[in-house]
Amino acid sequence: MGTRLEFQTLLEGLGNGVTVYFQPPPDVQMVYPAIVYNRDFLTNHFADNIPYAGMLRYQVTLIDANPDSPLHPLLMAMPMMRFVRHYTSANLNHDIYDVYF
Amino acid sequence: MAVLVFDDTGNRRFETGVKKGVLYPLNTGNGLYDTGFAWNGLTEIKEKPAGAGSNKQYADNIAYLNLLSAETFGGEISAFTYPDEFGQCDGTAEPASGVTVGQQSRATFGLSYRTEIGNDVSSDLGYKLHLVYGALASPSEKDYSTINDSPNAVAFTWAFDCTGASSTNFGSTSLLTIDSTKVDATALGDLEDFLYGTSGTNPSLPPPDSVLALFTGSITAITLTPPTFDGAHTITIPSETGVTYYVDGVVHTAGTQLLTTGQSKVVSATPNAGYVFNKPVVTSWLYTFVS
Repeated sequence: MGTRLEFQTLLEGLGNGVTVYFQPPPDVQMVYPAIVYNRDFLTNHFADNIPYAGMLRYQVTLIDANPDSPLHPLLMAMPMMRFVRHYTSANLNHDIYDVYF
Repeated sequence: MAVLVFDDTGNRRFETGVKKGVLYPLNTGNGLYDTGFAWNGLTEIKEKPAGAGSNKQYADNIAYLNLLSAETFGGEISAFTYPDEFGQCDGTAEPASGVTVGQQSRATFGLSYRTEIGNDVSSDLGYKLHLVYGALASPSEKDYSTINDSPNAVAFTWAFDCTGASSTNFGSTSLLTIDSTKVDATALGDLEDFLYGTSGTNPSLPPPDSVLALFTGSITAITLTPPTFDGAHTITIPSETGVTYYVDGVVHTAGTQLLTTGQSKVVSATPNAGYVFNKPVVTSWLYTFVS
């Protein structure tokens, strides 16, 4: 299980001019294309009567005016990534993913 | 006359959990389980007694008596991982560190683990220590599968069957269970010092007679006399009642042991049944020839 900062670095490394935001406050003026992610869930494996190992799941939202965003296949290539759904809002495409890291 | 009361406060006991697994490979040199290794990641241990099959004998037109076949003991261990030392018990040899060879002979091992006891008042009422003797693991599957969008860890499972260990008053037995809510706390502490080790002693699984003596007999506490070394090549093993000394894992009676040039030997001591060492205590010593 990596750290949140390692995950941030991984997302920033996707390039294509993406700006990455972690749990941004509502008044942040975003620059697109953007990836917004937040901590979502923790999966625990129990052993020895304790939570023995666990992995954090993040919910990642890709926001891009381009419906064929080059960031989409890069995100889908990440291990333990699952595409959840797509919607458009304010002429921006939103793709939501769940990823364990 | 007493009237039975059901489910009253404090008597709604239950057992749960498993932790503190320790593997004790059998030392074939001395027949002891004299070194223990922590088994992390235990998820489940199943105790599976078998045998004791019914064999009815008929006479006088009735089931005249019922003979039972011998009872055996086995089980299953499930865990996310296993100590490296379990490899020899699972049919692998390790000719070099990190290199294992499968389909080799299987070593016998002992096992201890702890389960919890609770009741309606406290979920931390006490615990049981389970001591398994003479276990031999069977080949088992290991299911490796692709990493996918749900995190999963490989769950290993090993089945084992036991031949047990001899006990003076109870014949051969494969399983001892100690209930912390019922036994003497000092004796339990002494047993846990054996099982988990102390700063001066290796973890070990005492034979059934030694365990039973802790709880059922009178225990004699003795101060262990260490061997002496002349600083060159002679180790002298003392004579002490209630102690067995070993040199490189082989029983050694009182007397001298000579070291040749460049040689090292490990002398260790274990208390016999009915004895414990006063603490603090050191029970193994390394001696190296000094020219």
